[in-house]
Formats: sequence, C-alpha cells, structure tokens
Amino acid sequence: MTLATAAHAPEGGTTAPAVRIRDLTVVYKTPAGELPAVSEIDMDLPAGTITGLVGESGSGKSTLALSLLNAVQPPGRISSGTVEIDGLGDVVPLQGDKLRRVRGGQIGYVFQAAQNSLNPLKTVGKQLLDLGRSHDVDDLRALVSEAKELLGRMGLDGARVLDSYQHELSGGMRQRVGIMLALVLNAHVVVLDEPTTALDMITQANILEIIRNIHAERGLTTLVITHDIGVVAEVADQLAVMYGGRIVERGPVRSVLGEPRHPYTQGLIRAIPRLTGDIDQARALPGRPPTLGTIPERGCVFRDRCELRMSVCDTVEPVLERHADQLVACHAVAGQEPDGGAPTDDGQEQT
Amino acid sequence: MKGFARRLAGQLARGLVMVWVVLTFTFVIISIMPGDPVRAEYENLLQQGYSPEQAEAQAAMLHRFRPTGSVFEQYVDYVGSLLRFDLGQSLYSRVDVATVLADAAKWTVIPVLLGTVLSFGLGVVVGVYAAIKRSSKLGDMLTMSGSLLRGIPDFVVGLLLASIFATLWPILPRQGAVNILYEPWTVEYVLSLGYHAILPVATYTISAYGGFILAMKSSVVTVLGDDFILAAELRGMKRSIIFRYIARNAILPLFTVFALSVAAVFSGAIFIERIFNYPGLGMLLIDSIGRRDITVMAGALLLITVAVIIANIVADLFYSVIDPRIRRAGDRV
Ligand SMILES: Nc1ncnc2c1ncn2[C@@H]1O[C@H](COP(=O)(O)OP(=O)(O)O)[C@@H](O)[C@H]1O
Ligand code: SF4
Ligand SMILES: [Mg+2]
Repeated sequence: MTLATAAHAPEGGTTAPAVRIRDLTVVYKTPAGELPAVSEIDMDLPAGTITGLVGESGSGKSTLALSLLNAVQPPGRISSGTVEIDGLGDVVPLQGDKLRRVRGGQIGYVFQAAQNSLNPLKTVGKQLLDLGRSHDVDDLRALVSEAKELLGRMGLDGARVLDSYQHELSGGMRQRVGIMLALVLNAHVVVLDEPTTALDMITQANILEIIRNIHAERGLTTLVITHDIGVVAEVADQLAVMYGGRIVERGPVRSVLGEPRHPYTQGLIRAIPRLTGDIDQARALPGRPPTLGTIPERGCVFRDRCELRMSVCDTVEPVLERHADQLVACHAVAGQEPDGGAPTDDGQEQT
Repeated sequence: MKGFARRLAGQLARGLVMVWVVLTFTFVIISIMPGDPVRAEYENLLQQGYSPEQAEAQAAMLHRFRPTGSVFEQYVDYVGSLLRFDLGQSLYSRVDVATVLADAAKWTVIPVLLGTVLSFGLGVVVGVYAAIKRSSKLGDMLTMSGSLLRGIPDFVVGLLLASIFATLWPILPRQGAVNILYEPWTVEYVLSLGYHAILPVATYTISAYGGFILAMKSSVVTVLGDDFILAAELRGMKRSIIFRYIARNAILPLFTVFALSVAAVFSGAIFIERIFNYPGLGMLLIDSIGRRDITVMAGALLLITVAVIIANIVADLFYSVIDPRIRRAGDRV
C-alpha cells in the first residue's frame, strides 16, 4: 500500500524524518455515540517533501493533523492506528512530559492564520522565552537571535516583532510569528493548518514562498493543510485528497492535478478558475460535504454527490488502488483502468 | 502611555461630573428639606438673642451657606466650601462633619475591602476549580452554590449570620466594633477588634462570593476555549506556564466585577452595619437621618458616592494597566 515516491533530498543531505501513518482512526464522542472523523487512513509523508492535504471543510484534515502530535482534543480520541516518525517511533502511545517535549521540539505546528495563536497579554519575545524554558533551552540568548534571524528571513524586523503584542501585528505577521515559533526549536516535521486562510492574496503568496524557502533551507518534512487546491498546487510535492475522513486520492502533485482520477478530485479542480484557466468553465461542486453524523457507514463516502455512482458504490467501500502515479479509491476508476491506465507523459516526474 | 493618559482624563472627567450631580442633589435635599433647617436654625439663633449677622454667620458655619441668600448664592457658597473640604458641622453634636465622617469611614472601608478581597480570592480559586471540573458533579455543585448565594440579598445573609452566631448560638458579638473597656492598641483591644469584625466581614465575603465564582468560572471556560491555549499546548509549553496564561487572561475581566462588588458591598454596608450595630458610614447615615442631622447625612451620602465612583475608576484604570490591548492602544499603530 505504500506509494513509491522517491523524494528529492534537500540540498546538503537530509535530517528530515519520514512520517508513516497506518490504519489511523480518530473518533469524536457525540450524542449518537463515537463517530469517526478519520477512518483507517494510511499515508506517508516522505522525508524532505511537502505534502499537501486538501478537502472541503469538515473532511477531517485538522483532526488528522492533530493526530501527528497525538493532540486530538476531547471529546475526540485516536481509537486505532499508529503514527510513526523517524527517530521518535510511534507517537500514539506517548504521554505526559515525553509527549510534551515532542510537540514543539520535534514537530512544529502552525495554527490557522487569522486565529489567535498567541497569548494576547504577553509580547512575542516573552512567549518565545516561555517556549525556550518549557523545552529546557539553556542558551536563551541564542534562542532569541535564532528567532530574530528566522523573522528576518521572513521579511520582518525581528527585534520589533519580539517586542510586540499580538494585537499590534497584522494577520500575515502573526502567521510568520507562528512559523517562527514552530521552527525555532529546530523541529524537522512541520504541520501547517490552513496557513493562508483569511490572508489577502499578496500575503498568501508571500507566506507560500516563505514555506517553500524555509522547507528547502532547513530540510523539513512538511504537511500543508488547506481547502484551497490552488495553495497546494504552488507548494506541494505530494498531494492527498480527503473526503469524509478518508483519503480518496493521493500521489505526486503534478499527476493528481494534471490527471485527477477520483470524481471528487475532478470536481474540486473544476471548481477553481485559476487552475482550469477559464472562469466560465469553473463550476462549484454541487452538494455539501458530509458531517460526522451523515458519513455513510457502508459503501463510498462520496456517492451522494457523485455522477458516476453505481450500485456497488452503495455497499462496498472502495479502497485505494494504484493507477499510474496515483492511488485512487473509486469503483468507477477501478473498472475503467484495471492496470493503472495509460502512462502519462510526465510519468517519471516526481515533484 | 498616551492612551493611558487619555483614558485617565476621560475617567476623571466622568467622575467629576458624577460628583457634581451628587453634591447638587445633596444641596437640593438640604434646601428643600421640610421646615428648611437652615432657616429654622437662623430663627432659633435670633430668638436666643443673637444679632442677625451673628446668627447668619453661625448658621452658615453649620450648613455652609447663608440662610438669607438667594438659592444661587447659597449654591455657590455650598460648592465653594466643599472645594475647601469644609463639610460644615453636625447639627446634632456640633463636631465637624469631616471628623465625624473620618471616624465612621474606617469602620466601613476596612471591613468592606477586607470582605471583598477575601471573597475575591475565594471566588477566584473556587471559580477556576468549578471551570476545570465543569463536567463533574462537584463542579456543578460549586457553580450552583454560586448562583444560589448570588440570589440571596446581602442583608438576608447578615440577618441569618446574626441570628445563627449571635442569637441561636451566641459565640460572636453583634454590638459595636470593639469592647470599649479595653485600652486602645493593647493585645486584648486588637483581638476584640477582630472578634467584632468577624460577622460583618463574613457577611460581605459571602454576599460578594457568588458573583466572583460565577464570573471567574465563565471567564476561565472562555479562555480555555481560546485558540492560543491549544496553540501553547501544541508548542509543548509546560503546564505551569499554560496555567499562568489561563489565569492571567481569565482574571482580567474580574477586575470590573471586583469594582462593581466593592461598590455593591459598600452600599450594602448601610444595612449590614445596622444589623451588627457596626459604627461605619452606613450606621452614621441611618442615625443622621433619624436625628434629622442633615449636614452629616449629606456628607455621608457624598462620601459614599465618591467612594463608589473612585472604586470604579481605580478598577478601570487597573484593568487598562494590566491589559496591553488597552494600555498600548494608540501608542503605536
Ligand atoms: N470537538 C469536536 N466534537 C465533535 N465533532 C468534532 C469536533 N471537532 C471536529 N469534529 C468533527 O470532525 C469532523 C472533522 O473535523 P476537522 O478535522 O476539523 O475537519 P477539517 O479540518 O477538514 O475542516 C467534522 O465533521 C467536525 O464536525
Ligand atoms: S466509488 Fe462510486 S460513488 Fe464513490 S466516487 Fe467512485 S463512482 Fe463515485
Ligand atoms: Mg480544519
């Protein structure tokens, strides 16, 4: 079930760890019992790559991302599966102080842009020191200069930002501070949840460029989560498409975007004028994504919105199967192209 | 600190307007009081054989305005003497009203502040606990105790405490502030002071406590749901640091509640002091009304109002000193 993608090693050798998610199920306790928001997901974040995770709101992206830090919030819990990170092992059984040190220390997490991820009553600098003390950093002065350097590389006046409160920073500045805090302790796995949501277009482009640059410079393994397929098109090497708690398609970005196979991926791409190149042809995906309570227990999770729905879709859940460069979970695709279909002309390109 | 200065100026201006309204109100009370006490005093003095000038001066000393002037002249006199902190003399004891007030004020201010601070500390701690344990039975019970206590008027709390601890099971005194037989500032005297203060302070504490618990609980619950707390957790911050983040953010809105409580307890003291015969401003106000001692009454009213206004200003400014969003507003862009 693994996807054979030899990732580009970043220049100068790699320190980046790979992440292997296996059979991961995360449930939330609801009045109707424990319902899965993430169902039996298998996924790799190859070392040194940027993986994009797309899907409409509510598809389980944030829940999956939080699982990487074993930080699913109550009333949710990881009910089965493993999340193995090179050098750390499985993070699911980690607890207490050990788990705390992994968060921030080895895995950096960047919160959604417009949200407030900083204590409003303390300056950025004071919170940086709190972070250093939490992780037993001896040389706090070195930590501060590292932070300034990171901020400087992102085009900010480090000294000034460290002396600022959250309310004195713009959305784009806050987002960069979030990235700095995720990286300043030298984490090599970085998760960015909706890093550009609620930012204006110019700032969005700016943040994406920063992500790309820092990813390459530091040799990171990066997961970028977004509901905007245009964002992953710009930064990601790998792409995973999520729907109703499942990965329905994944593979190298070029292949998935260039030749989407799952009806959901096709719909997502059609909905974006930037990618189709023709505003008139862009059309929104009809229907609405399922919520926890309405995800069907049997059959394909996407069938209510699918034009290719067949009778088998109602009863048998499609599993991810190989088609050329991609893995696709769809009965219709499986029927059409049992051997992986015609080779694509950029079949050897990996990034 | 430009923003702070502007805020301070605004608060002071508003406070002054309120003081002005109250002093005008007390002036109106004095001048329209049935039987016109100033005039009565003046005629009384005339009858005792004083010359009109002497009688006028004497009456003016008591009331701070001349009995024969026009209303406007009387008002100007009145405000003028207040500006000099001259509150006139008690009609009852002929002691300066300022002295009478100062004597009484300490018996109100100290127990009220003590009670509110105790209540604040208790309410904040229990409120945090009720917030953390909000999905358990204990948390529910703590919250309910808060709602219940907040629903009981403070004088009922006072009466209950008085009947339980001074009547049914008489272990605490409900007469006065100290046993006057003791020499001031001996050990016995100080112990007696504390002993007499227990019931009033307990009443203040209990009546303010419900509000603090509920306010703190809801504040903590709000902060717990804030993104930056989860963000701090995901950055691997130590629990003790996260706890401090929660505490500081949650306690901020409580200072407004604190100010309101001080003001409420202060006004509640009028009845509570009566219950315990505690010689504070409230007792003084009620006694002065009973004795038709209008100068003292007006002074006490004015002082209570000013105290309440000051409590509000102080809390608001305090709030703005510790909240950088307000403190640094306008300092930079
Ligand atoms: N605390 C929670 N309690 C119950 N359901 C939740 C909770 N958090 C998320 N969910 C549900 O889990 C599903 C996935 O949510 P989420 O991971 O936030 O999706 P995404 O990030 O893709 O928008 C949604 O249906 C959401 O309603
Ligand atoms: S499995 Fe069936 S319903 Fe699901 S996407 Fe494929 S064709 Fe549509
Ligand atoms: Mg999300």
